Amino acid sequence: MAPDQFEERRKLADLSFLIQGITFTVYSDGRGTERLFPFDLIPRILPHSEWEKIERGLSQRVVALNLFLQDVYGKQQILKDRKIPRWLVCSCPNFRREVIGVEVARGIYTHISGIDLVRDSKSGDFFVLEDNVRTPSGISYVLENRLVMTRTLPDAFQACEVLPVHHYPAELSRVLRSLSPRGPGDAEIVLLTPGIHNSAYFEHSFLAQQMGVELVEGRDLIVDGGVVYTKTIRGLKRVDVIYRRVDDEFLDPLTFRPDSILGVPGLMGAYRAGNVALANAVGNGVADDKAIYAYVPEFIRYYLGEDPILKTVETYLCANPTDLGYVLDHLPQLVVKAVGESGGYGMLMGPAADRAKILEFAERLRANPRNYIAQPVVGLSRVPSYDSATGTVAGRHVDLRPYCLYDGEKVTIVPGGLTRVALQPNSLVVNSSQGGGSKDTWVLRGED
Amino acid sequence: MLSRIAESLFWLARYIERAEDTARILDVNYHMLLEQSQQSYRLRWEPLIVMAGEEKLFHKLYEEVNAETVFEFLAFNEENPSSIVQCISKARENARTIRDRISREMWEDINGLYYAVTRFHPREEIAAGPHRFCDKIKFGAHRFHGVTDATMPHDEGWEFLRVGWSLERAEMTARLVDVQYHNLLDALPSVDAPDNHQWMAVLRSVGAYEAYHREYHSAIEPEKVAEMLILHHRHPRSIRFSASEVQSGLRAVSATLPGEYANEAERLTGKVVERLRYDRVNDIFMQGLHTYLDDLLRMFGAIGEDIARNYFYYAVVA
Repeated sequence: MAPDQFEERRKLADLSFLIQGITFTVYSDGRGTERLFPFDLIPRILPHSEWEKIERGLSQRVVALNLFLQDVYGKQQILKDRKIPRWLVCSCPNFRREVIGVEVARGIYTHISGIDLVRDSKSGDFFVLEDNVRTPSGISYVLENRLVMTRTLPDAFQACEVLPVHHYPAELSRVLRSLSPRGPGDAEIVLLTPGIHNSAYFEHSFLAQQMGVELVEGRDLIVDGGVVYTKTIRGLKRVDVIYRRVDDEFLDPLTFRPDSILGVPGLMGAYRAGNVALANAVGNGVADDKAIYAYVPEFIRYYLGEDPILKTVETYLCANPTDLGYVLDHLPQLVVKAVGESGGYGMLMGPAADRAKILEFAERLRANPRNYIAQPVVGLSRVPSYDSATGTVAGRHVDLRPYCLYDGEKVTIVPGGLTRVALQPNSLVVNSSQGGGSKDTWVLRGED
Repeated sequence: MLSRIAESLFWLARYIERAEDTARILDVNYHMLLEQSQQSYRLRWEPLIVMAGEEKLFHKLYEEVNAETVFEFLAFNEENPSSIVQCISKARENARTIRDRISREMWEDINGLYYAVTRFHPREEIAAGPHRFCDKIKFGAHRFHGVTDATMPHDEGWEFLRVGWSLERAEMTARLVDVQYHNLLDALPSVDAPDNHQWMAVLRSVGAYEAYHREYHSAIEPEKVAEMLILHHRHPRSIRFSASEVQSGLRAVSATLPGEYANEAERLTGKVVERLRYDRVNDIFMQGLHTYLDDLLRMFGAIGEDIARNYFYYAVVA
């Protein structure tokens, strides 16, 4: 394809995203402006054999994380067996005492997980960078990217055999339906969104529409006699399953933050009584805490008796005095992360930081060591990407977030996932809020 | 259907309709004035502001009433809650909160219109005159109606849209006739010397000019214009037609049989529709046009309120 033809198709793709309103909201300018998520027309290719290994590794990890959550909010056997320090678990900012002993539907906590992977540029191996088992977002971009790609570059799809991704909403719907306390046949499912001003609002409405379920806000729901209802033009209608995209703290002002207007008073009562299922479960934040991350390989061995298939990055727990000492001595070579944060907030990239920034973080680490972990910098792999400024193709750093659905028996993963790309040369930051973009991810069918 | 969604559909339709009606009135008024004397200027623009119900705000913002300030105010002004750009932007906000419930085509259409409208530069448009801008809005609204009819299931959600834009249209036409008629009566020595241009403009602004000629085969007469805009049973912008549409929509939602009513909104709508069916234009003028229209507007207001009470708001059950 000639360069000008490529440029033309790229513009067509951008326009298509804008008109469809596939945008996200950035808060840094104080107005909450809608922005396009920059899209790179060159796909990222994963051979089938490589994908198979990732798939097995992710399935193993999701099952182990789920068993950990069952355990930690149930018998707490792993704490009694001293495989992970009790204080470390209990001090997680997202550990929720309120749900200890609650029996969740079918024992599933991690219905939907988004697990971030990076490929080490030296060894070529995939590493797990972090787990997201609370309300991971981004799947809508995977589906829309694919749609725009098939429209913009249909010829390329005919040449390569690419595994499809569009069954995700149907799979998600099946998983949610299976949780209904009244049985899957009668399941009334809703998707609870914080509302139009949330950065992922597009995704919420997209998924609701794709699954054919009602998109609701907290004010659309009411709890009466321990049962959740929607307010309709014909009166109240019972709800069985809530796919909630509202954080734990905001779900129910009677249990968590009393100032929350996004939640539903009494929701946790209905949840405890088993009258409504929530996906994902409440309290999952303890499993994707960045300090707990260091113990996930141990979970896999402890619960499954298997060796971890995917590698994890070496992690220093600042709560550990020896680790803290090491981290403070080596800050310029390390990445420091706040344990309960996500989306690239509260991070220090040692090699890129100036002296003042490093001193500032050293101070923060000493003040609240439990809140931080440190890792060596992983050299992110690069893949060919289009640079619209120069009109050339060059290598750019990428990560990968596959989306895993768990129904208690089997983990289903749509082939590929969201490839985020740092569009600036040499940048390692792929977050959309900081100038990152995305690409379609192509897992090829069959033999390489 | 969720109450919140029904409410958003209702308002989405109302805002689109308000934007279209305002654009029509602006466009026609402007072009008619090209053929008018300078003295009548203020006189011709003032009614538009009265119609929008924003006289106070206008006079706070502008010193002079002229084509530029009125156009700026009604089309672009961010402080005017009923300016065209504000209406389109609110229509889009409503659509955005329910984009999972409307068709993809509807969302892309209203979103595209929003981007097109916000891309206009007020200063340039004011210099160029309102036609290009108003045309864009008018056709944008028409396209949205078409896309809606062709892509959305004609279910109860669609009925709330129908009720929304019909109710808004009925109100806008009532206001248009009321304001223009009285303005003309005040300004002219007698009704015997009607200002044809002005009445032509009124007809054109609701797209009824050609229909008028087909219907009456006569010169433009104020009573006939009023008859056409208030009582005509087929013209889609007449008050009677719009009120019937509101009635059909409300009945479809509640599944009420003809002759019965399920709530106050339906009772009032039925009353208005019957009145418009049996009243003759002479009856209206005997009562006084203004009194008549004012009464209708009050009823439309009450219908809107009762729709909200019935379908949108939930009384908190203690």
